[in-house]
Amino acid sequence: MHEFSIACEIFEQVMTTAKEHGATEVKHVTLQMGRLSHTNPEQLSFCFKVLSEESIAENADFIVEMIPPSLECECGYTGTVDEEKIRENCEFKSELLAYAAVMECPICGKPAQITGGRELIIKSIEIETEDQN
Amino acid sequence: MLMHVIDMGHDVYKANDKVAEKNKKKLDKYQVFSVNVMGAIGSGKTTLIEEVIRQLKDKYKIAVIAGDVIAEMDSSRFRKLDVPTIPVNTGKECHLDAKLVEKALDEIDLNNTDLLLIENVGNLICPVDFKLGEHLRVVIVSVTEGDDIILKHPMIFKTSDLAVINKVDIAHAVDVDAEKMRDDILSLNPNVPVILTSKHDWESLETWISFIELGVKESQNR
Repeated sequence: MHEFSIACEIFEQVMTTAKEHGATEVKHVTLQMGRLSHTNPEQLSFCFKVLSEESIAENADFIVEMIPPSLECECGYTGTVDEEKIRENCEFKSELLAYAAVMECPICGKPAQITGGRELIIKSIEIETEDQN
Repeated sequence: MLMHVIDMGHDVYKANDKVAEKNKKKLDKYQVFSVNVMGAIGSGKTTLIEEVIRQLKDKYKIAVIAGDVIAEMDSSRFRKLDVPTIPVNTGKECHLDAKLVEKALDEIDLNNTDLLLIENVGNLICPVDFKLGEHLRVVIVSVTEGDDIILKHPMIFKTSDLAVINKVDIAHAVDVDAEKMRDDILSLNPNVPVILTSKHDWESLETWISFIELGVKESQNR
């Protein structure tokens, strides 16, 4: 399970940034996760919770924002995958497969390059500091 | 008490990608062609790597990084073939990452290496998200995994440069159509070369080995 090692990296980065800013508590951690990343938001949140026990991030809300895949085609098209189309496409049982299968250019129909949707970004943290900071 | 929102914008995977880029530059400097061999447990990664070593070790200098969760069975198999082998035990992790490879590269005499074979930890999911600095990403899948294995794991087939369907000699016995597996791979990634192999079919192994050799030659001509 690679969520644990990723949670370790997130925890380390969050704590470093929080301390640099004189935080007394971390209230929120907001992540952006590409839908094509093989990371499970619930498992990641659980691992972060375990790691942050007895730290200033112990009670932090772990918020995950999902990012749709984006495509680039040799015909010049760039854009994100149509999420409506994915939801309508009920023949695919898994969301990941649904995304992988529709990665063709909506203009010319050729297979497009995936340019986004595999990210895992620590977007921001909300922290509490003493008044003098 | 004051509340602050701090923008971070730290991409965990990009942090790995940066180390991978560094690894690749280092390998390029020494003209080493590197192959990341991915695939499930039992797909035949070790056997196919052994065949590459047996057939190419007199022509090229080969080194191996053998990734495994704990044991060193695979690395001892490579050592028996007299090639420098670095075992990388990930402990609890299900994939190799660029930092582990960076560390292993320090233990390899790159001046005396033409081909670096990296056997990833056996699974079709986690290795996808972690680049290592490799020149060629290979996914090996065997017919024994069932002919729906490809559509169950689309991303590894979309992101690999070469796909190998192995153990095709026993496809009938396990009631699997290897051609369906090939079609599924091509439906996900129309441009990826697909090779069907069996350790009992020398011609198929030659195709696999020549694909690797081509990469080594190109690397040396760069």
